Amino acid sequence: MIWQLDLSILTLIVICAFATIMVKDLLSAAIIFGAYSFLMCLLWTEMGAVDVAFTEASVGAGVSTVLFFAAVHQTTRRVRTRKSGRMLAKVFALMAALLTGLVLIIAETDFPGFASPFTPASLHLSPYYITQSLHDTNVPNIVTSVLADYRGFDTMFETAVIFTAGLAVIAILRRYKRDDRCDLPEPYVISEGYPDTIIRFIARQLAPFIQLFALYVVAHGHHSPGGGFQGGVILGASFILLAISYDSRMIIGIMSERLNILLGNIGVLIYAGIGFLCLLLGANFLDYSVLSKVLPATDKIMARSHGMLGIEIGVAIAVMAIVISIYLNIISHGKYDKG
Amino acid sequence: MDIVVIVLTVIALLFFFATTVGLLRFPDFYSRMHAAGKGDTLSSLVILLALVLYNFHEINLANLLVAMKILLIAVFIFMASPTATHAIIDAGYESGIKPWAKNPEEESP
Amino acid sequence: MQSIISSYNYWIYILLMMIGLYAMLAKNNLVKKVIGMSIFQTAIIVFYVSTGAKEHATIPIIAHGHGAVEAAVDVAHYANPLPHVLMLTAIVVSVGTLGVALAICLGIHRRYNSLEEDEIQEQL
Repeated sequence: MIWQLDLSILTLIVICAFATIMVKDLLSAAIIFGAYSFLMCLLWTEMGAVDVAFTEASVGAGVSTVLFFAAVHQTTRRVRTRKSGRMLAKVFALMAALLTGLVLIIAETDFPGFASPFTPASLHLSPYYITQSLHDTNVPNIVTSVLADYRGFDTMFETAVIFTAGLAVIAILRRYKRDDRCDLPEPYVISEGYPDTIIRFIARQLAPFIQLFALYVVAHGHHSPGGGFQGGVILGASFILLAISYDSRMIIGIMSERLNILLGNIGVLIYAGIGFLCLLLGANFLDYSVLSKVLPATDKIMARSHGMLGIEIGVAIAVMAIVISIYLNIISHGKYDKG
Repeated sequence: MDIVVIVLTVIALLFFFATTVGLLRFPDFYSRMHAAGKGDTLSSLVILLALVLYNFHEINLANLLVAMKILLIAVFIFMASPTATHAIIDAGYESGIKPWAKNPEEESP
Repeated sequence: MQSIISSYNYWIYILLMMIGLYAMLAKNNLVKKVIGMSIFQTAIIVFYVSTGAKEHATIPIIAHGHGAVEAAVDVAHYANPLPHVLMLTAIVVSVGTLGVALAICLGIHRRYNSLEEDEIQEQL
């Protein structure tokens, strides 16, 4: 909690935020947004939130920037300069923002000081989690144990939200061959990119190691920052790397739309399936300790640890499939053949 | 050991500073990318080396593992960062950005 | 003055939130609005995470040797993990929302051939 570092990173974050919304070129705005995400990730590491920083680094600074690039690539790149006439709306928006800020500042005078151990958030429930997590579940990473075991219900619906987002993107953008008006109107030319030996070679060499690292992140999430989401996003990012350096057609050949949706389904089903298995064995939904009846040679505490690993795998599969699916949909404008 | 770590960090900071100055002051897209790609990679590698040496305050298995992981990160940066620079420069070339010429009237064919 | 010094970070989070809010309201381009939404989301996430930070506290992974001897765990030594868990969900949901928002932008561009709000409103 070094406040000098805090203050300098926060200043840079504010500068990046200003720059992102002021720049006229959308591609530059996307890149500055990537820098903003990385600075946020640094800030969270400095505050001690390593899991959150890991997720933001992989999700926010990685996949978000790529999705912005893909969307801007398909549409216009520059913001059209303004004719005046929106001045009144801008002034009104400024007043609204300032008023909300003022209300929030008045509210924050009630807040406890920064980084004191006696904030109300730290007093009631979290001491139980901190002291009992290793004893109950044999998992040292408290964030993973709370995410996957104590609050496992939340995480299941979060996975369902990811899956629904993938479905929504398919519903909005996908065009099939049998539609009339299937061909895109004139301004849209899906560029193919040119083959480049160095990039293709490096991407081909690096991709297996990236995937291995992603699997390590999923499996080691009990002992180090990591877990299902981060690992799934890194897996998806490796495929996106291959899709960018090669043609999208190659990735569509490997991870076709059917396989993506199937994997997304399987991921959510693994999660809910483990929950139902616990129901069938006679305990509450997602109460992993009864899995000790099914898994050989584990007691109740280790069963919770293994149950958490199972659902993390499910989450990773689902997130990977959905990230690849969203990227492929955006980059090929729904038609899934080029890009 | 501490002296070595501090010296390495200062060297890396100097390289970063030189990279940033080059990024701002060079006249042309290609020279800027040249400065950014090389300087960035080198500075990152030197800082990671400093971290590896800092880790060796006591030599036991856990520290050895951490050092190996940091070295793996260094290898990854060594492979990926120049490739990214190459990709950006290639994209700029394909878009038709012309290199800087001292006298703008002379068109080099 | 003392309260400003001790709570400067809350002011900066509120400033970030207001930058995001202003971008969502006042900017004309749709992608800029989406960027404003993302800035707002990350500002709220940093606000929540900062409530879990503790002075001189380490990351919420219980240090234990490979012998797995259970020592007493002091609460004030570890950062509060509960906001981290909630914000993990928030980040992942935000990337899902971002994907859908960009897909909607793409659909609008396909239909109206413009990403500027007033040009789209003229065509409606």
